[in-house]
Amino acid sequence: MELQIHIDPPSNGSQRIALGGRLDTDSYAEFDRQLEPLLPGMQSLLLDLSELVYISSAGIRSIFRARKALAGHSGKVLVLNPQPQIQKVFDVVKAVPLNEIFSSAAEADAYLDAMQRKVLRGDEDED
Amino acid sequence: MRLRLQIPCERTQLGLLLDSIEQSLLEHGIARELRDDMRLIAEEVVCNAIEHGDDGGEHAQRRIAVDIARDDDGLHVEFRDNGKPFDPLDHDPPELDADILDRPVGGLGVHLVRELARSVRYVREEPYNVLHVVLRTR
Repeated sequence: MELQIHIDPPSNGSQRIALGGRLDTDSYAEFDRQLEPLLPGMQSLLLDLSELVYISSAGIRSIFRARKALAGHSGKVLVLNPQPQIQKVFDVVKAVPLNEIFSSAAEADAYLDAMQRKVLRGDEDED
Repeated sequence: MRLRLQIPCERTQLGLLLDSIEQSLLEHGIARELRDDMRLIAEEVVCNAIEHGDDGGEHAQRRIAVDIARDDDGLHVEFRDNGKPFDPLDHDPPELDADILDRPVGGLGVHLVRELARSVRYVREEPYNVLHVVLRTR
């Protein structure tokens, strides 16, 4: 049940990373190590959690660090398809806003496209 | 069911402990959701004990024992370590509604334990820190 990390090639500042296995005390450091160099140029990170079966507070800390890094330049971390255990932990600690969690890739892509158009138009972020 | 496991307070031992607990619960027919809750609670509690119970080598052998008993309505879990006195529950709850830029990344482990368990109680029984946790079966 090792952590699997699959990093897609980035496109237009948006990056998809798929995780599998467990993101916990034993595995978060490896995730951080692979993620950190990518964060500075990243506008949005889509974390595909379809295959992730377990997360602990150590994993939440990694996601928070990514959210903070991106929020610093108005970027966002979006979450795709969290399994029940992960959704439960997210709910308890309010790890990610509910409107940034998606159950289908199409929904997440539509959200990203809208975000992208906003950036191109130079709109103020309306949160 | 009655399960008792003990490990040295070292990060390298944590994965093995969690896997052993999970395997035992699986063999006793405990449902997935409760196994996941148990794993999470054990990970958070044992990590905290390893991190905070360090007394600068006063105890040559710092150990933590996990005792799990099942009854009709849930799991009764006791964590017992011989580190220096440390009450993991003695913290303000985390601020969950602040903007991400203002939120600390840590401090969520104990909150998770409190939220997932039916009850959590700490007591110092010299020379041990003892944490009693009860989890619902349903």
